[in-house]
Amino acid sequence: MNDIVLKTENLARHYEVSQGFMKPRATLKALNGVSLSLQRGKTLAVVGESGCGKSTLARQITMIEPPSAGSLWLDGDRVDAASASQIKSLRSKVQMVFQNPYGSLNPRRKIGDQLEEPLIINTDMKSDQRKERIRDMMQRVGLRPEHYYRYPHMFSGGQRQRIAIARAMMLNPSIVVADEPTSALDVSIQAQVLNLFLDLQEELRTSYVFISHNLSVVEHVADDVMVMYLGRAAESGPKQTLYDKPLHPYTQALLSATPSIFPEKRAVKIRIEGELPSPLNPPSGCAFHKRCPHAVARCSTEEPVLREVSGRQVACHLAEKFV
Amino acid sequence: MMSLLSIQNLCVRFGTLEKPFLAVDGVDLNVDQGELLGIVGESGSGKSVSMMAMMGLLDGQGTVTADQMLFDGKELSSLGPREKRRIIGKDIAMIFQDPMTALNPSYTVGFQIEEVLKVHLGMDRKVRRQRAIKLMREVEIPDPERRLSAYPHQLSGGMSQRVAIAMAIACEPRLLIADEPTTALDVTIQAQIMDLLLRLQKERGMALMMITHDLAVVSEVAQRVVVMYAGQVAETGLVQDVFFHPAHPYTRALIESIPESCRGARRLSTLPGIVPGQYDRPSGCLLSPRCPIAQERCVVERPELIRYTSRAVRCHTPLIPLQELKS
Repeated sequence: MNDIVLKTENLARHYEVSQGFMKPRATLKALNGVSLSLQRGKTLAVVGESGCGKSTLARQITMIEPPSAGSLWLDGDRVDAASASQIKSLRSKVQMVFQNPYGSLNPRRKIGDQLEEPLIINTDMKSDQRKERIRDMMQRVGLRPEHYYRYPHMFSGGQRQRIAIARAMMLNPSIVVADEPTSALDVSIQAQVLNLFLDLQEELRTSYVFISHNLSVVEHVADDVMVMYLGRAAESGPKQTLYDKPLHPYTQALLSATPSIFPEKRAVKIRIEGELPSPLNPPSGCAFHKRCPHAVARCSTEEPVLREVSGRQVACHLAEKFV
Repeated sequence: MMSLLSIQNLCVRFGTLEKPFLAVDGVDLNVDQGELLGIVGESGSGKSVSMMAMMGLLDGQGTVTADQMLFDGKELSSLGPREKRRIIGKDIAMIFQDPMTALNPSYTVGFQIEEVLKVHLGMDRKVRRQRAIKLMREVEIPDPERRLSAYPHQLSGGMSQRVAIAMAIACEPRLLIADEPTTALDVTIQAQIMDLLLRLQKERGMALMMITHDLAVVSEVAQRVVVMYAGQVAETGLVQDVFFHPAHPYTRALIESIPESCRGARRLSTLPGIVPGQYDRPSGCLLSPRCPIAQERCVVERPELIRYTSRAVRCHTPLIPLQELKS
């Protein structure tokens, strides 16, 4: 059982940003060396605050833009060195579901047409085969056949997200990248959509990269979790290991900041001060040291490397202290 | 003790005279002084609309009626616009979900905070400035002297929400209404803003009404909770009663659908369908098409909100035996 569908090594994406007229351009390291691997039919959750590089990572995996450095394999094919035509054919293996289903569907086109488009572009299916496939997929995601002729504004948020999921699944991709797919939805609708994700995964053995900042949702769907901070992985490993005993102070803070409905589950709140520092001007040493309650002198000078500590990867000098 | 805010039978109608749509349908609300009340429910359940109606922020859209809207002994609906403005924004303040749109992008945050002080308290310029700095310090904005001249786009979401809170508490309100104050923010910032709101609430003894769909937040901070569904109050009571022994099937379904309640199970338990809109309101109980325990009576007869000693429930067949509710 070593069926890896997605693998990255030291993947990085740097952007050149203008600082103003006549000033030198600065480099923004949105993604700064991330290594991960994802098995077929499994879910990797990527968590972290806004600006930590989650969405940049998604843009690399979906090949929306090429990485600045590092390597990326999809289903065993190396992507970063591939030619444009190879990338075009690889793209159908990775699909994306966005946060806002109101923005990701074309308001002027019927649902059926929008679901058909990926088939027209990427396959040589005949018209009636396409219709058959669309009908089948609509049924799978819980849409009725008459919805084929409707426009996006006629649907509720939850139904629109079902349509977006159906569209992502049309080509039977190996990987679906879901960027905050339920954060715009109500709890009851969120439950419906999460169930749909899990059912489809069971049926089609799709792998998910699930980007979210809601740790209780992540706990429900993920197999592995990667916590990101300022373009790097702070801690990553199997979900249960991380949730049972987080070793990185940032993971600890995230978990304890997540509100819980059950009083007995509420941990002592660890409050971290301040906000994510600017990636244009990251702190020296450990990127987290200015907000870290445990920081020692070493943290401000020496950057911790990701290393194996009791069953997971963690980038903290003091990780052993928390075991 | 007299309650700070007491609303009886609040209704908000949208649409035409022939086909009115009751977005808020007979809502009763009581908030005591210094109390923390949570209001939960799905989108479209009328949480925000009822608060906007109470504040007079619906701006001519919709018709607002109520048997009673008493704030601190004064009937809000009988006040003229001038007198009402003196209360709204001063004694009752509100903060919104999206701090980026709540602030005016064309003015500095200092100007916007000072404007409140000028309009409501008539302070002169120097005093205003000092007061604005003090307020920003109170909401834990670092380096307030410099931040006064920042524009909203130069601030992060968390900082903007702090500015919005500074504006809201500028006139020492007796009641602060927070409409999804942390939904748009990251968890760590969410926790910081909640701590700030709780601290201010305690220090100033103001009442805080939290409108949210995050049940966990309400469960952590509120004393009482109102569960709304399709414009009506479905259930209200103490948080520990309502959340851990729900009497209304809707409350139970909401609690069960959050991932935390389904630990270990692969599938989450769900409530099928969505909140009925303008054209598909059932004639019986509004929850009846989605309710797992709906009976014939529920389809034809709309239940009333029945008040028991410590809670109120709108259901023909509450999940808790009546004796228990009455005791």
